[in-house]
Amino acid sequence: MKRLFKKSMGLMVVIILSLGLLTGCGPRGNEEAVGTGKGERIKIGVSIANFDDTFLTYMMDGMKAYGEKHGDEVHIEFVDAKEDMAKQMDQVENFIVQQKDAIVVVPVDTSATDPITSAATQEDIKLVYVNRNPSKLPDGTYYVGSEEIVAGRLQMEFLAEALGGKGKIAVLMGKLDNEGALKRTKGNEEIAEKFDGIEIVDKQTGLWQRNEGMMKTEDWLNRFGDDLKAIASNNDDMALGAIQALKDAKRQDILVIGVDATPDGLAALETGDLTATVFQDAAGQGGMAMEVALKAAKGEAVEKETWIPFRLVTLENIEDFK
Amino acid sequence: MNVAATKRMIGKYGIYFVFVIMVIAMSFASPVFLSARNLLNVVRQVSVIGLISLGVTLVIISKGIDLSSGSVLAVAAVVAASLGQSGDWHAKMFPELPQLPVIFPLLAALTIGLICGAINGTLIAKTGIPAFIATLGMMVSARGLALLYTDGRPVSSLTESYRYIGQGYILGIPVPVIIYLFMVFVTWVLLNHTKFGKSIYAIGGNIHAAEVSGVNVKRNLIKIYAYAGLLAGLAGMVLSARVNTGQPGMGVAYELDAIAATTIGGTSHSGGIGTIGGAFVGALILGVLNNGLNLLGVSAYWQQIIKGSIIVGAVVIDMRKNAKKN
Repeated sequence: MKRLFKKSMGLMVVIILSLGLLTGCGPRGNEEAVGTGKGERIKIGVSIANFDDTFLTYMMDGMKAYGEKHGDEVHIEFVDAKEDMAKQMDQVENFIVQQKDAIVVVPVDTSATDPITSAATQEDIKLVYVNRNPSKLPDGTYYVGSEEIVAGRLQMEFLAEALGGKGKIAVLMGKLDNEGALKRTKGNEEIAEKFDGIEIVDKQTGLWQRNEGMMKTEDWLNRFGDDLKAIASNNDDMALGAIQALKDAKRQDILVIGVDATPDGLAALETGDLTATVFQDAAGQGGMAMEVALKAAKGEAVEKETWIPFRLVTLENIEDFK
Repeated sequence: MNVAATKRMIGKYGIYFVFVIMVIAMSFASPVFLSARNLLNVVRQVSVIGLISLGVTLVIISKGIDLSSGSVLAVAAVVAASLGQSGDWHAKMFPELPQLPVIFPLLAALTIGLICGAINGTLIAKTGIPAFIATLGMMVSARGLALLYTDGRPVSSLTESYRYIGQGYILGIPVPVIIYLFMVFVTWVLLNHTKFGKSIYAIGGNIHAAEVSGVNVKRNLIKIYAYAGLLAGLAGMVLSARVNTGQPGMGVAYELDAIAATTIGGTSHSGGIGTIGGAFVGALILGVLNNGLNLLGVSAYWQQIIKGSIIVGAVVIDMRKNAKKN
């Protein structure tokens, strides 16, 4: 009886854990597939760094839209790497075993993509990296994305002009180990250096999150007082947090600029709370990645790198982005 | 007062002294630190983690652990937010839903927290699996649930009465601070002046002795975790109201901050020892630390290193005090 109890307890643990893992990994299904047509289709496997990421969700929308439009040509399967490099490697190996015609990867860590690249190229499977650039692209591998540093430059050029070339600016950075965060900030700094009157007075991480962006801004307002003229944020969500802090402190004189042009960001732009944002075309990147993968798998000539441009969004051109 | 008595005082109230010293040091280092606005800022910034850490304190006193708080916060936040979206928002989750009074999202957040916590407690009490495992399962599942519910998208633009919970003021004091202080009081009463509170200490001190002396261990465990879940749900409501959005990625790793606050506040992981006053000061120390490092303009990389060191340092001081006592 006692043994039975012990056994059933062990079973219980396994069930609970696996339930936990199942739901955890696969909210919208750890795996999803798009494409309903019959006959021989190009099989594409997609490993996404993290399903939790709002931006990557919109990118997946772009991929799915492409898959549905070309349903008679492609079959796409999505898996979630959950920001785990080792898991992503396993997923790519699974795709290779399944003999996919092309593999699309949003890499968890761009500095550790070599094993993925060599695994795919050895089997002569076309490989497309999206959004995060591994920079080493041997034959049969491709990259689709936007040049992060451009977003930073666009932000600071806009702010410098709006401030008349003079003023103190604080920068809200994303996660400090993220390439986008580092490059966007670098773009900010590059332009700021060109103006004598523009000074970046502090750079702090808001971890891409609204709440953290708000708290950093609250502290900045107390520290710099009226001297602070603008906040450049690595993404819209942190910018929205900054706006919350500004509203609370009744400071309407401070300019805030974000990146992404998320629906929340655009709404804040319309009400005048957000001064401007920079549009990174998530769905465009996703759709283009699928197109590159499909063409490469069919043996058509494709450019090694495809750049999806960033664009500055202000009240004047907001209608183009809704 | 003689030397021995002074030492005893410092021993007993060690963590409070650490806090006072930090405040004094900061007020010299930064002229704006002691301004009323900044101080209110600090307390408001810690109110979310602080709410969670109150529940976590009860859990840790009972010699358990709760790793699910951050994820439970997220589920509560997204569900509450979906019931509290303002009518004119273009991407409403339930377009047909009329604009509801704030009591509905609030009750939803509290209920979800309570249920998640009760599931944790029931698993631990009825199956005997370690709290670490049960709450780890909940941490992973609840995060998944939040993603499933929102399809990974933010639930934004909340009604004015909803936002008031996070952004409003009563007599110049931010509402989150009032909620936090109120719950500090409620939890203090619960722990020090009820049979439930005594049972928590008894279970943490020696679970078998507690059982023998007539404490209903199972029922109390369920209640402890349910209360911790309730507070995580409330924290989710406050946080979403504060930032005008419910997002499935909210509160990642908050459980660790809450555990850190509780631990800094002198709650022992070997069970049976801990106070609500300590948890309160622990949360404030974390808040002053964050705020102070920002005011001083310490680089983002260094901030993390310093924070980690101070958390460990504070606990080392506290451990020495407990070791001496034994």
